[in-house]
Amino acid sequence: MTTVVITGLGTIGGFGAGSEALAAALARGVAEVSELRDPAGYRDAGAVNAAALCRRNGEDLDLSPWLDPGRARRMSAPSRFAVAAARMALRDAGLPVERGPATRAVAMATTFGAGVFTERLLCEFLDSGPRTASPFLFTDCVASAPAGQIAIDLQATGPNVTVVQREAGPLLALIEGAREVASGRSDVVLAGHVDEIGTLVHAVLGKLGALCAPDEDGMIRPRPFGRTRRGFLAGEGSTVVVLERVADARARGARVLAKIIAHARAFDPTAPRADWGRGGAVLASMLRARLARLGLTPGDLDAVVSGASGSVRGDSLEAEVLRGLFGANMPPVFAPKAVTGEYGGGNLAAALVLLGGASCAQVTAPDMLDPALGIALHDGGLPARARRVLVSSLASGGAAAWVVLEKP
Amino acid sequence: MSGTRPRIFVTGLGAVTGFGAGVAALARGLRRGAPAISPVTTFDPGAHRTQLAGMAPLPPQREGDPAARLGRGERFAVQAAEEAIVHAGLGAAELTAAGVFFGSSNGGLLEGEAFFRRLRRRERRLGLRQVASHQNNGPGDAVARRFQCTGPVLTCSSACTSANMALAAALDALRAGECEVALAGGADALSEVTYAGFNALRAVDPGPSRPFRVDRAGLSMGEGAGVLLLETEAHARARGAVVLAELAGAGATCDAHHMSAPKDDALGPLHAMQRALDDAGESPSSVAFVNAHGTGTPHNDVVEARALRELFGERVADVPVTSTKSLVGHLLGACGGLEAVVCVLGLLYREVHPTGGDDPADPELGLDVVIGGVRRLAGARVALSNNLAFGGNNVTVVFRRAPHD
Repeated sequence: MTTVVITGLGTIGGFGAGSEALAAALARGVAEVSELRDPAGYRDAGAVNAAALCRRNGEDLDLSPWLDPGRARRMSAPSRFAVAAARMALRDAGLPVERGPATRAVAMATTFGAGVFTERLLCEFLDSGPRTASPFLFTDCVASAPAGQIAIDLQATGPNVTVVQREAGPLLALIEGAREVASGRSDVVLAGHVDEIGTLVHAVLGKLGALCAPDEDGMIRPRPFGRTRRGFLAGEGSTVVVLERVADARARGARVLAKIIAHARAFDPTAPRADWGRGGAVLASMLRARLARLGLTPGDLDAVVSGASGSVRGDSLEAEVLRGLFGANMPPVFAPKAVTGEYGGGNLAAALVLLGGASCAQVTAPDMLDPALGIALHDGGLPARARRVLVSSLASGGAAAWVVLEKP
Repeated sequence: MSGTRPRIFVTGLGAVTGFGAGVAALARGLRRGAPAISPVTTFDPGAHRTQLAGMAPLPPQREGDPAARLGRGERFAVQAAEEAIVHAGLGAAELTAAGVFFGSSNGGLLEGEAFFRRLRRRERRLGLRQVASHQNNGPGDAVARRFQCTGPVLTCSSACTSANMALAAALDALRAGECEVALAGGADALSEVTYAGFNALRAVDPGPSRPFRVDRAGLSMGEGAGVLLLETEAHARARGAVVLAELAGAGATCDAHHMSAPKDDALGPLHAMQRALDDAGESPSSVAFVNAHGTGTPHNDVVEARALRELFGERVADVPVTSTKSLVGHLLGACGGLEAVVCVLGLLYREVHPTGGDDPADPELGLDVVIGGVRRLAGARVALSNNLAFGGNNVTVVFRRAPHD
């Protein structure tokens, strides 16, 4: 089996732009949130009105170091985020933006696509009739638009796939990208996730009871695995990684951020359409079997970057899977979605940043943890000898994906 | 090249189209060659520039049937998947570890539109359950949930190449041994905003579409589902399954040129076809027929024809080309799933269905477009199915006739 490595990381989110901004946010252990205005009145009275948005002091994040503002104006927010993150990832990998002889492919995921453009299109359509629908809005509304814009921007003429599988999207896109590189069909794959949190999407999440309410001080602390958890913090942004075969990376002297040494996918058919199920035992056995097939045991895994987000049922399922996999020998567990928010791929970026030596502050205090879940969160960086990290993502609706990353 | 990789067989087919529910209705309609393009029924098309589409029938609801709570696209998906499972003769136990690889471009957008209307009208009963199916993973997830599958589940949403992408992903997963059985294909329900969007692009023919004709004026939209039951050779042989065809290869590229227009040089679709044939261990000379993307939009047909001329060279005049979309409409993210079913039928019965309409093909395209009736193809062994999409995506899958003869 050809080993695939990650050689570049681009990430944008409520924490800012770049891995240093993410590392700083993880060290603080608290998310940066911005108010989301609701002029159309979609939200229920008293509902959560803030999310981890790509904004600073009321202004959109400055993406001009990666993306020409003129070009950015002709894109939806997800396309802007994704193209900027892809360019950042290429730069981080030491690869030129201009296409060389290497075949470049794109594997992106999204949960909501271009929600704001879709809402605008629907409003135009409902207010003024279907003949007023904007071709520009329509073409950038499709889920695959960010991946298409990356391809156009970076002349990525290899396969271009967009995965839609909610919270499991980032890892599923990573797995599709790793397969593409390992097969030899493409030399470089830009893989990742992008999401935009617009008012409509946020309001619907609120109506579904999925969102964490602010504390009395106005901060939103989702408290993954906490006994008082009530939902997650919605987050937007994009994370894109550069995937290459290890031999190619070595040949060009590239710095390797992580090796992808295993991955697994499964589905929990007990899950309702908009929530998590109770099939943790089955998921754990599927994961264990897959690891065994790849010559790994749970004891080979030194830490877990969990997808726990503060969701009531999602965190319960995650805990059940981890207990089923590790039993009493639970390695250190991190839950960075408390900082990055749910969506946008921040969890994958956090795993790479932690592998690179960053620390994550305690996001749920020990006395706030749910004793029924049996999970304690780690405070600090990866243990000194830790090399292999299990990254976990269980999606509402039933999909599940895991990746094992190894420190080079 | 296929090398020592396991071969992946098609052992079951399922479809829901404008011809009706089921593969038998599809096969009858394809042979007849009369387009199932009719007035849109799921919304009032009166205010739109065009009013026709390939409308698929919703499966009948049975009392207490959990499918009754599903969105329209999800119901198409579940019905087609169930037909494929029954066709393959698989029991529930054999599906437990199965994977589900689906393509969808609209997902539950139809239900999402209805939700949005209610939200704007400040209605008290919003139907949150409906909006939960708005996402494009709805159809694939519904299939996995309905048949209790615990294997890998992946929804590709790459516009009109979604289902071909899903077939390619299923092929990878089966070859890699990640699962031994997979349901793969696509499902989409027509939504009003998508109908308006394609009309805004002036991409819809007011009448039934006429792919590869001189006066072609756009596509016909459609809805429905097409699903294949795929198995590794070892799994199929062990249970004595009837093999319908082999999913032999897949290839994908991106034009990296424009969000909604194909690149004139046609290198993207050409390379996708070449990669798919290489993956299948076949050459252009072995291709018996092509199920083209064949939308009927003026520019798309020119570019696809150019790619086919480049691929086949002088032989292009002897390679029958057909467009399923001309008969049932463009199923968007599901079209690759349905056209895969059609390719398997074509290899099984050694025939190619006609492209809708009686007028002759545009001579400038230089293709042998099947028109006027079914074309018999004695000895047909390999079929290509092309899909091209927004964002410049091109995905081709290759089917080989079942190896028993």
